[in-house]
Amino acid sequence: MSVAALLIGLVAIFFGFVMEHLPVPDLIVWFQPLWVLVIITLLVFQAPSTFGLWLAVPLGLLMDAEQGTLLGTHVFTLAIHIFLVQLFFRRMEIFNVFQQLAVVLVLALLHQLLRFWLAQVLFDFAHPVDIWGPALSSAFVWPWLFALTRLLMHRFGR
Amino acid sequence: MPPYQGQRTLLICLLALALMWADQRYPFVQSLRYLSGYVLYPAQQLSLLPSSLAEWMGESTTSRRDLLDENKQLSARNLVLELKAQRLASLEAENIELRELLSASEQVDDKVLVTTVVAVDPDPFTKQILINKGGEDGVFIGQPVLDAYGLLGQVVDVLPHTSRVMMIADSNHAMPVQINRNGVRAIATGTGSLDRLELIYVPNTADIQEGDLLVSSGLGGRYPRGYPVAVVDKVEHNAGEMFATVTATPSAHLDRSRMLLLIFSQGAGQVPPEDLWRIPR
Repeated sequence: MSVAALLIGLVAIFFGFVMEHLPVPDLIVWFQPLWVLVIITLLVFQAPSTFGLWLAVPLGLLMDAEQGTLLGTHVFTLAIHIFLVQLFFRRMEIFNVFQQLAVVLVLALLHQLLRFWLAQVLFDFAHPVDIWGPALSSAFVWPWLFALTRLLMHRFGR
Repeated sequence: MPPYQGQRTLLICLLALALMWADQRYPFVQSLRYLSGYVLYPAQQLSLLPSSLAEWMGESTTSRRDLLDENKQLSARNLVLELKAQRLASLEAENIELRELLSASEQVDDKVLVTTVVAVDPDPFTKQILINKGGEDGVFIGQPVLDAYGLLGQVVDVLPHTSRVMMIADSNHAMPVQINRNGVRAIATGTGSLDRLELIYVPNTADIQEGDLLVSSGLGGRYPRGYPVAVVDKVEHNAGEMFATVTATPSAHLDRSRMLLLIFSQGAGQVPPEDLWRIPR
């Protein structure tokens, strides 16, 4: 566990929350990327020894408080998400950008789907969740964020 | 992958499920949410920086003439409102007197707190907004929120410095109303679109017309009595069905208002939070 990676990661997560909170025009409200989810994927992918399953608990609680969902919903979805990323990341390292993009799309879809299912099972009314929009836009921002982290890591050497 | 990772994931998932179960039943879990609010606060403030910066720029580059114009308009409006308030004072005195004659409890003006909308929930399926007052300002869950034109909604989630308000147009929201003209009672539910409410369980024979003003009836114990909620814009009597289809337009400017009022009702309007979290059996 390296302190530098931890600090950089926490700053990245902070900006993820800022981006998620940013007011957006009505036009793209259906296509808000899941910023925190993408950043968590990136962190687990790039620094697997520092960032692991433990991220799910504090970040899940924060996301629940932020989005007003039942406490624990995001802890559940993030734990499964991080587990899957850890399962895949060796393979993802040799994938090209488009294959990675597809994996991120599937993971983001699964995350949204789990949220929807949890809401369905736990409430007697169905709270609809926008499944495709956020997943597609999350997959779209992945290559750019990935390139940015590679650039930063190259620039500051590691 | 570290050893036993699958088992650990399972453990965390079970913990999360237990937390969800507890959150629905026990109010003390709410404090966890409240604490998260402190951590989220800086991120929320930073994300509002662009809009507050734009606002500041706008304010500091307004010309002197514009300000003078606005000042004139506002003082004219103020005069009109004061005139109305004068009449209101005498009416209120009369009202209290009449109530005393009826030996009913007197209704005093509600205490209010002014707040500003800081964000709209990005989730397109819910009609919720965030306001810049929270638990530290005395905001409580279930508190009614008004804008200058009518009832806007109620507080559903309280964080230390912000709160989440569910608007009356949210599809999970319903409130008891009555027609101002004749006192017929109904329930107004949100439809998920900001410019439309639906009245449910209105008998086909009820006296209700287009243009009727709906005011809160205070029956649910949540909203205070007598605030404007919506104006009826369509009444359809369906032969062969028990209830009429009635739609109404909310009086509050749900999509435009920036300044809102939080109401601290005296007595009746307040339901203790413990009761809100108790699930009716």
